Amino acid sequence: MNLKRRLLVSTVALAFAGALPSFAAAEGTIAIITPSHDNPFFKAEADGAAAKAVELGYEAMILVHDDDANKQSQLFDSAIAAGVKAIILDNAGADASVAAVQKAKDAGIPSFLIDREITSTGVAVSQIVSNNYQGAQLGAEEFVRLMGEGGEYAELLGRESDTNAGIRSQGYHDVIDQYPDMKMVAQQTANWSQTEAYTVMESMLQANPGIKGVISGNDTMAMGAWAALEAAGRTDVIVVGFDGSNDVRDSIAKGGIKATVLQPAFAQAQMAVMQADQFLKTGATGLEEKQLMDCVLITADNAAKLETFALAE
Amino acid sequence: MKQLALTAACVAAVLSLSACKIVKTGGDTDKAPAADASGDDARIAALMTETWEPKLIPAITERALTPAALRTALAGGLEAAGTAHGKAGSGVGAAWNFAIAGEGTVTAAKLDTRARVLDVDTDGDGTADLTLQLGPVVKGSALRDFSPFYDFSGFRDQIEFAKLGRALNDAASARLTVPEGDPTGKTVSFTGVLALKSPTETWLVTPISVEVMP
Repeated sequence: MNLKRRLLVSTVALAFAGALPSFAAAEGTIAIITPSHDNPFFKAEADGAAAKAVELGYEAMILVHDDDANKQSQLFDSAIAAGVKAIILDNAGADASVAAVQKAKDAGIPSFLIDREITSTGVAVSQIVSNNYQGAQLGAEEFVRLMGEGGEYAELLGRESDTNAGIRSQGYHDVIDQYPDMKMVAQQTANWSQTEAYTVMESMLQANPGIKGVISGNDTMAMGAWAALEAAGRTDVIVVGFDGSNDVRDSIAKGGIKATVLQPAFAQAQMAVMQADQFLKTGATGLEEKQLMDCVLITADNAAKLETFALAE
Repeated sequence: MKQLALTAACVAAVLSLSACKIVKTGGDTDKAPAADASGDDARIAALMTETWEPKLIPAITERALTPAALRTALAGGLEAAGTAHGKAGSGVGAAWNFAIAGEGTVTAAKLDTRARVLDVDTDGDGTADLTLQLGPVVKGSALRDFSPFYDFSGFRDQIEFAKLGRALNDAASARLTVPEGDPTGKTVSFTGVLALKSPTETWLVTPISVEVMP
């Protein structure tokens, strides 16, 4: 498995190294490294960044680390070896990614982080992250309102190594815990995964048939939970997600999942590329390293305006 | 007004109390709070003592517009109104935050909730044009984002920054006296802050003072 993965990575690196001279755009190449595109959120990031890179005259090198810090490190090696001008990164772990970003910096390649923070400053040029805490508060306020300020509920947590899992959970509880009649009867991770959320929801429901609501750390888990609730004939349960995916938008439109919180992933990725371009041309972005982007509550009222992690005006 | 001073004194007492607690558990008083999350409460408490009464309350009172003046300013666009009278929150897409002070008639009161609110008509047309949040659950971070002396880049991360927002909201709602009985139809005076992302959205005010006239 490990050997296979390594082989695959070197093949990818070779392909890029080989492709570079013939494809090289005027401005060089920007590497875009994200988690797996199985989650449409990360695909939207990669698509947004790639589109902007091409628009600005760069070649885009799209890579996925599958939330594996070792793989991410190898991808950085490949990108450095390929002589990319800049790296756009949605990282594979707040602590574990610092070394990789530092390695690129030492090689003279600036990194621009999106979506997830790392635990050091001064290593990346920009860290543009959604205000997950503010977003989680919005989701929780709506969840509490839908629950009539009381009742039993369950929480699905994201992957523990991802800082956003903890931030969102804290944001949820910052609001929900101010309501004494809201009773959390189950809290479990489903690692951002739809299939895992399905299984977790099934067992949560068996153990706690009185559940009235489920608050989920992201949309893919909300979809998994909703599928399990539908299978159990419990479509009365209130589900709230986070991300603003098209899947959840469609579910909201059909009266399934009740709400989600949009992270402007597409715009965020494009902004990172614009800042990279600015930095490469002028040596500075003119902005603070850490930049927050506000999230937006999505309900039946505005779901129709949502498309690929962007909200129409 | 006397009541306000009394509540202010209470808040100050609570704040200094929590500071005492830190001395007790932290041991060494000269030691700075830990940089990680374990030091958040101590750091936020110190920041609150330093800024809430001495800086933020006066800043809100001094910069407050009347509802009519804010409406006039907003007619020229949110960006222009914000630049002239408000303060933008940190980051892209963040709201403009304004201070507001005025009077109006309570058109509706929702007091049987943890997020108590009064709907208020300030232009005399009989329909509410703003909502006063009486807490204890207060939405948003307008108090934090209105203040020029809290800057996101000076905080460890969004969690610590959010804790400040919550501490400010809690301090504000602790100052308020919730009206007894149904205040609908009565006159209310208020001072507070609000966050706007569009010039036409409903005004959700986080008040630092609310007084329902008898």
